[in-house]
Amino acid sequence: MTGLVLRGLASRKLRSALTAIAILLGVTMISGTLVLTDQIDRAFVQIFQAGNAKIDVVVKQKPPFENVQSSVYLNASIVDQVRKVDGVKTAEPFIQSEGYLIANGESMNSTGGAPSFVFSNLPQNLNPYTPIEGRLPAASGEVAVAEEIAKKGDVAVGSQQKLATQDGIKDVTVVGILQYGNGDTSLGGSTTVLAPLGDVQQWWALEGKATAIYVKAADGVSQGELKDRIRSALPQSDLIVQTGREDADEQASILNDLIGKIIRYALLAFAGVAILVGAFIIYNTFSITVAQRTREFAMLRTIGASRRQILASVIGEALIIGLFASLAGIVLGLALAWGLGKLFAAVGFGLPATGLILSWQTVAVCLAVGIGITVLASIFPALRATRIAPIAALREGATLPVGRLARLTPVIAVIIGVLGGAGMAYGLISSGGTTGRLTTLAGGAILIFLAVAMLSRYIVRPVVSVLGKPIGWVAGGVGRIASENAARNPARTAVTAAALMIGIGLVVFVTIFVGGIKESFTGAIDSSLKSELTVSARGFGGTLPVGVYPAVKDVPGVQVASPVGGTAVQVGTGAYALIGVDPATLPQVYAFDWNSGSDALLGTLGKDKALVEDSIASSLKVKPGDVIDVLAISGKRAQLTVAGTYTDPTILNGIVVDQTALMPLLQSNATGVNTVFVKEDPSADSAAVQAGVEQALAQFPTAQVQSNQEQKDQAASGVNTILVIFYALLALSVVISLFGIVNTLVLSIFERTREIGMLRAVGTTRRQLRAMIRWEAVITSIIGGVLGVLLGILFGWAVCKGLESDGLVFVFPTVQIAIFLVLSIVAGVLAAILPARRAAKLDVLAALSYE
Amino acid sequence: MSTDIEAADPTIATGDVVVATDLTKIYGEGDSEVRALDGVTVSFPRGQVTAVMGPSGSGKSTLMHILAGLDRPTGGSVLVDGTELAGLNDQKLTLLRRDKIGFVFQFFNLMPMLTAKENIELPMKIAGSVPDAEWEARLIEATGLGTRLTHKPAELSGGQQQRVAVARALLSRPAVVFGDEPTGNLDSKTSAEVLALLRRAVDEFGQTVIMVTHDASAAAIADRVLFLRDGKIVRDSGRLSASEIFDTIKTLE
Repeated sequence: MTGLVLRGLASRKLRSALTAIAILLGVTMISGTLVLTDQIDRAFVQIFQAGNAKIDVVVKQKPPFENVQSSVYLNASIVDQVRKVDGVKTAEPFIQSEGYLIANGESMNSTGGAPSFVFSNLPQNLNPYTPIEGRLPAASGEVAVAEEIAKKGDVAVGSQQKLATQDGIKDVTVVGILQYGNGDTSLGGSTTVLAPLGDVQQWWALEGKATAIYVKAADGVSQGELKDRIRSALPQSDLIVQTGREDADEQASILNDLIGKIIRYALLAFAGVAILVGAFIIYNTFSITVAQRTREFAMLRTIGASRRQILASVIGEALIIGLFASLAGIVLGLALAWGLGKLFAAVGFGLPATGLILSWQTVAVCLAVGIGITVLASIFPALRATRIAPIAALREGATLPVGRLARLTPVIAVIIGVLGGAGMAYGLISSGGTTGRLTTLAGGAILIFLAVAMLSRYIVRPVVSVLGKPIGWVAGGVGRIASENAARNPARTAVTAAALMIGIGLVVFVTIFVGGIKESFTGAIDSSLKSELTVSARGFGGTLPVGVYPAVKDVPGVQVASPVGGTAVQVGTGAYALIGVDPATLPQVYAFDWNSGSDALLGTLGKDKALVEDSIASSLKVKPGDVIDVLAISGKRAQLTVAGTYTDPTILNGIVVDQTALMPLLQSNATGVNTVFVKEDPSADSAAVQAGVEQALAQFPTAQVQSNQEQKDQAASGVNTILVIFYALLALSVVISLFGIVNTLVLSIFERTREIGMLRAVGTTRRQLRAMIRWEAVITSIIGGVLGVLLGILFGWAVCKGLESDGLVFVFPTVQIAIFLVLSIVAGVLAAILPARRAAKLDVLAALSYE
Repeated sequence: MSTDIEAADPTIATGDVVVATDLTKIYGEGDSEVRALDGVTVSFPRGQVTAVMGPSGSGKSTLMHILAGLDRPTGGSVLVDGTELAGLNDQKLTLLRRDKIGFVFQFFNLMPMLTAKENIELPMKIAGSVPDAEWEARLIEATGLGTRLTHKPAELSGGQQQRVAVARALLSRPAVVFGDEPTGNLDSKTSAEVLALLRRAVDEFGQTVIMVTHDASAAAIADRVLFLRDGKIVRDSGRLSASEIFDTIKTLE
């Protein structure tokens, strides 16, 4: 029987290959994703292990609550206690901050999302950097730079350069050029400058503070032993004492959680979509081939094959296809990971990458998913094959008996659809964890896709009768035959279309969803900001140098400038932004959407009152008059009375206090100001004011000024980048569904060989025949496209409504939807190329006598 | 399974291989009721070729389907090689077909991707048993396919394909081989080759053949010819010439 299965597959090479492709592409994506993210993971571990290679023990501040976006600092004087511990050879405070060299007038900052570091210098026996030229910085005003910077900026030892710091531009002398580790570890595009500790503390307003204290053990003292000794000398529960290795692994894992895991799960989600589409195609292909082989199965039954053997032969076929597709997918995935690595590097998105890693887990996951889904999708067709009666072998034109559950299909579909709807609703409105909500949301969407796929067979005939007329006008008789063919086997056409529906549906959904995010931002700027210019820190989440606000305020043409600062805080179990504002100026630049309170409240906030954004107020279940306990990332606490509530999920999304209440909670010695809203004098020339502000900021390269339009444009361009990535990832699913259309057409043509011979014999030209098949494909793809667009709109609308309190706005993407519909027609035309060619090539006589 | 191989041995062959008693088959209900078989009682002795004839709708195909366990009668009983078919479930019927029954179809029904030899061995492979090499060699010799054994069905003529099908039916030495219009899709020359092979299977190998046919020249090789009309056996005759058969058919229509 195994031999029979293999020979059967071999005799249907094209069909087997097309079926395999359906699952192969999905597995490729899983494999590629896992290989790539394993690589990223390992690269992070390597970077941090190289960084800590010389460090035996690390002392750090324990953050009061989990918040990966904020750095926490410890008191640098703790180093004195550490140095007293027996077995400590060297102990040094260390600060990690962000800034960059300006070499000969050109900014040497990193590109593509990697950080630009300024580190405080460490003695050579703790320092991962070694000078390959010159020396480490020692005196104030001296820096050493990584060799990539030296090369790129043509920086010579001894040259006078400038350093962009939190406190503005500083004059520095380059005294050394550095190599990281032993020079073979990629830092993935990040840049590094070393400066003396005192300078870094002063320029980043971190006097007396340190990111960590690094310790070198005396000879003969092990890392573990030294760690234990330091721990007993520093019993404070808010300090972390780790070995260098533990610290490296922890940092690698934090960074991996931030980057590697997000990439991994996002890509896997899209791979899952591809696999789902593949499952539809495999189900359809097996359904069709089982129907076509009715007589063959019946004959096997008459000569003594049992039902179990028939079942095993069909599932065996799926098993073999799944196995080969998965193996090929794993290999292609390696190629994909390699290609993506190159691509990332080429666009300057330098993910630190090492060699390709194919772990046994990757192989196991790919095989399990690839084979599992193929077999699962073949089970229903296989069960139907077992229901073929032996007597069918003796009858001409025997057809597959309808499944036992066929009558119940609509009922089952409706039940599945309702479950899916409930899942989505729960995912949208429940207050559970994000992962759980996303899972129920996705599960619900899959069930709805399934339900629509099951029900869509009932719309095939109506759709065809609507489309048939115009197609008849355009294509004449051939068009009519094509419509009839598409409607001949509605279930087949429906499932083929459903595969395309999933891809198109998700494309429409992400268009709406991402469009909603964009609209929420631009809408918020229009409705909330009364200011014309916004000064903010470049990069992500940074604070502005102290001098920025005073400098901006005095620019001619500026009517009012209002500084806004913030820090991460914990209230209850949630992390929020605590926003410090200037009550005197804020109402002039920002329009509150009050739920409870008015602008007059601002002046009364003082040191112990707060305004709470509406959705935060409802998740904290507080109302005006209630008192909230706030724990800042600095470890300091405050009690605030809720004075009012307002709605703004975008710009001031957090808990608003008077800046005098914010200051004591900050951990750095800076003001914590991260944004300055600028309102121009109505009589001033807007462009001139912006130029003036730019001029004032020239000494603060970490600050930037944007008009409201520029902010919107920046948000739009960010959003568009994400959209393009989503489209590219979803394109894979659409391509897979095209293979589904190809597969169905090839199988249908095979089935209709005799008919095609007859059509040719009575005078249908090859061109007409090709047109006929093309129209059939187009009808299928229109059904898929229209269903996809409808479901996409439904999902998009539901998610935008569900996340309304987060600011999401439903915008109907008319133009894009028209484009997607045209694209789905094009997809149908493309899918028809190969089948149409095969049909046109059939020899008339041979086709007529085909049995 | 060993019992039927022994039973198929011509030296021991005695008695009836297939016994049908008072078979009725009714399709539909009430006014639309059709009696495809109306109380048929008939036995088929071992080592004979029996041809079943009759006009369309006479019930001859239904009779064969029921005798072969492919269809169930409304009433009556069928014994195949001593086994009562009534009450057998699908699994038991499958095993019975596998061990005791061979089939030859009008449209050959060979697997297109297998060679002639592999097609012949297919039922044994499905049953998971090993063909008797000597017996297989004799059968293959009898088919006269010789060098064409490694060819796929598409490369064989209709007559050759049907001889492969006959050999396939015989390889397991079934108690009985059923033929469903085995010459229905062949011309007179290739028909003759296939019929000669069936005849030889009975005369030389002691097999039992029951075939439904429209073809008077095919029925002329039979040891016994049954004529059905309206679900009843109307004539049960010994060997007849083609012209005698033709005359009988004419009177029935």
